[in-house]
Amino acid sequence: MTPPPPGAEALALPVPKDSIYNRDIMAVTKGFSLKWLALVLLALGGLLQAVGVFAYQTYTGLGVAGYQAPVFWGVYIITFVFWIGIGHAGTLISAILFLFRAKWRNAINRGAEAMTVFAVLTAALFPLIHIGRLWKFYFMIPYPNQRGLWVNFKSPLLWDLFAINTYLTISVVFFFVGLIPDLAIARDRAPNGIKKLLYTVLSLGWQGTGRQWKAHSRTVLHLSGLATPLVLSVHSVVSWDFAMSVLPGWHATIFAPYFVAGAIFGGFAMVLTLMIPVRRIWGLEHIITDYHFENMSRFILFTSWIVGYAYTMEYFIAWYSGVEWEQTSFFLRAFGPYWLSTWIMIFCNVVAPQVLWFKSCRTNVHLLFVLSVIINIGMWFERYVIIITSLSRDFVPAAWGIYIPSPVELSILVGSFSFFSLLFLLFLKVFPVIAITEVKELAIHARDHAHGGAH
Amino acid sequence: MPTVVSIFDRPSDVAKAVRKLRDRGHDQLTTYSPAPFTEVEDAEDPKPSKVRLFTLIGGLLGLVTGFAIQIWMSLDWPLKIGGKAYASIPAYVIVGFELTILFGGLATFLGLMLVGRLAPGRLDKAYSKRFSAEEFGVAVDCKDSDVAEIDALMRAHTAKEVHVVQA
Repeated sequence: MTPPPPGAEALALPVPKDSIYNRDIMAVTKGFSLKWLALVLLALGGLLQAVGVFAYQTYTGLGVAGYQAPVFWGVYIITFVFWIGIGHAGTLISAILFLFRAKWRNAINRGAEAMTVFAVLTAALFPLIHIGRLWKFYFMIPYPNQRGLWVNFKSPLLWDLFAINTYLTISVVFFFVGLIPDLAIARDRAPNGIKKLLYTVLSLGWQGTGRQWKAHSRTVLHLSGLATPLVLSVHSVVSWDFAMSVLPGWHATIFAPYFVAGAIFGGFAMVLTLMIPVRRIWGLEHIITDYHFENMSRFILFTSWIVGYAYTMEYFIAWYSGVEWEQTSFFLRAFGPYWLSTWIMIFCNVVAPQVLWFKSCRTNVHLLFVLSVIINIGMWFERYVIIITSLSRDFVPAAWGIYIPSPVELSILVGSFSFFSLLFLLFLKVFPVIAITEVKELAIHARDHAHGGAH
Repeated sequence: MPTVVSIFDRPSDVAKAVRKLRDRGHDQLTTYSPAPFTEVEDAEDPKPSKVRLFTLIGGLLGLVTGFAIQIWMSLDWPLKIGGKAYASIPAYVIVGFELTILFGGLATFLGLMLVGRLAPGRLDKAYSKRFSAEEFGVAVDCKDSDVAEIDALMRAHTAKEVHVVQA
């Protein structure tokens, strides 16, 4: 028996056997490739032009945003609903699939959670852009004030404020809790410097003791349990911004489940749009396999059917209700001035995803990427159809109008994609894009069991 | 007081070694794992984590706060809206629900910090970077006279290395 070497320095020896998961996943954060820099510059440019345009809009007034009677909810509200929806797939993957013990989520949950946080951050900008007088946004928050006024808790718009802020907070907490053990890995691997300091602070002194892991698993379980009803409530509340009004085409009980299914559908498409290039560029095929993409395709196909069912049911109820305004509203959706957006929506969200019935399509990564972009477009148009067709064709034909998105709105739309992309690109260089400890857990289990025949 | 740190490769071995140590009365021990393994955690301490209490208290507090602020604020500035009562419970379910989740989630995180004793930058003497790669560690605080016994015991349980760290 060799005598135990004295002191702590023996433990400070270099890691004898590097973990391939630590190495390969942390490699994504190393260095700055030309392609990455080009994308960052592109996103930064897109964001800065939108900031400029927003300053112009704030100075001039909301008229430049193409708002005129009867349509005062335009691209900003459409894009707000779009981004909130994108966030939902991240929570579904991290919370609901966790509760269902679907182990395949491990390879994609970090990317999806990051996407959730960034999508909700992007969405949260839009109510502020939309109100025009940005400096008065705090009126929405209930706080004691000299006027003795309180907010109206019976308004769906206020419910939305609470739902979105809760969703943002809980998504950030969930994302961060999942990151803590991986940040400890990053801390242990980083050379001394600013990154080491950042990881040391953020990892909160994580050491992976039994006590910490037990508390961590419990925390993740409870946060999943809280996030699951939360995510279902958030898009339901967003849908009630519309459904609680009495406008034809909006005032429907199907709105909450319809919006939630659409959100999951669109969000899964966005996960594919982001993770397919990430896997390709950093060669992570051994961690995110085609199997993961195939499972996500199945989800997309399933939710595409729910969305298709909701579209059909909306038309059926419009006819079956016998309400003339409702019937006219839906007739004009399909054959009125906005017919093109309606048919784009139906093609992108219901027709195109049907290719996923075929395994050859589900495993064809190029096709999946193209399809995911088509679905993103389709989901944006879904909100366009819902919001614009109903507002522009309400009760009295004399008050009807036509809405065309203005260049100001389109610049800010481009800006929102740039903002989201910029956050995701920076995320790739700071945090591990795959949950290292979760992937490792499966690998160590497999190794233990392979060896464990003797146990 | 010396700390004996043994290094393992497999979680099942760690669990067995830890149970053995506890049987022998060495319960001042800490395990270090690169990933969560319930067998290791339960061997170290079979009781469920107290984090669950935090979630419960936080959630209930949020529920009460949610309804309380809405009812009080609508009575403080009474406005008849939509023919509803000033304190209109069904309309307040949503904000009450959201605050339940918000407070519950934040309290759970606080629970993780307190129960897991997390504090930035503080690491045990026995901690090694190897434990965030793929190896496991068991650290036992013991009397000088017990070092040899624990060393032998750990090696018998497939520890590949045993080190002694002075506190």
